[in-house]
Amino acid sequence: MTAALLASAPALPLDEAGKYVAGAYLVFMVLLVIYVAIMAAKLQRMERDLRDLAGIAESRSNGHSVAPGRGSEGQSISVSSGPSESRGGDA
Amino acid sequence: MYGKGLRQLSIATVVALAASLSLVFFYAPLDADQGFIQKIFYLHVPLAITALVGFVVGGVFAILHLRSGDRRWDAWSYVSIHMSVIFGVAVLVTGSIWAKASWGHWWVWDEPTLVSFLIVFLMYATYYPFRYAIEDPERQGRYASVFAITAGAFVPLNFIAVRMAQSLVHPRVFATTNGGLPGSMMFTFLVCLAATGLLWITLVKLELTAKSASGQLKRLRRALDAPAPSGGSRIAPEVS
Repeated sequence: MTAALLASAPALPLDEAGKYVAGAYLVFMVLLVIYVAIMAAKLQRMERDLRDLAGIAESRSNGHSVAPGRGSEGQSISVSSGPSESRGGDA
Repeated sequence: MYGKGLRQLSIATVVALAASLSLVFFYAPLDADQGFIQKIFYLHVPLAITALVGFVVGGVFAILHLRSGDRRWDAWSYVSIHMSVIFGVAVLVTGSIWAKASWGHWWVWDEPTLVSFLIVFLMYATYYPFRYAIEDPERQGRYASVFAITAGAFVPLNFIAVRMAQSLVHPRVFATTNGGLPGSMMFTFLVCLAATGLLWITLVKLELTAKSASGQLKRLRRALDAPAPSGGSRIAPEVS
């Protein structure tokens, strides 16, 4: 199938000009791939953040103290055990 | 909200790009004058047109931002300009490759089209430090919008000035008189232009969706009173 397709396709003159044309299209593809890679990295970071926040929210609802993950290494936040504590105990 | 229709748009973009590449290499005839090297134009010219239109669109969004005060328009303006700058890099590189193959030089300083595009590109490259220099988000958005409108108005003026300049070096293939593109080449070019335009719109929407998700995460973090993660962007407007 592929061989038949290639046989019917016009021959591309990959002489001196071929490498420049290939280079130009390659640059475009590389830029596109770099952009997609950056977006993928952003997505991964957001996913990590979301996991952290989900952990914090869950531990708050369970009334536990939690040490959050990325971006706050070495720190821990004390999480109030309920609404009365977070509002200064006057609720 | 920004991600609405993104999947369909992405599929349409991939199909359009595949169709355009097929047309370029298997349908469009070889140029009688330039030969195979002319194939670069199907990439270079649509990228340039899309980038320039994108700059103007960024200016239009900036007008909407200043009129309404809605920061979402500022985000649209920022992302439009951002994407056009990326496209601009591709235009400069692909143009240089064509110039090297055709003229024997990577860059020619006495060619108005090249230099004018470089001026526009460098002008928009200053958009980032300009924006970054302002801390207050309200003022940042307002000043960036003024910049986007001024620079956006400069783009068509610049284009007209270059068209009026008589140059014998840079090809003018869209002339209405003799020497214009034949039908098959024009069709291929228009498909390439549509594909590039679709790619620009898809990437703008993708970027806005990512920024929106990031903004919502920040809001959630603030609501949960959690510490902010390191490495957040200070330049880009926050999108909710």
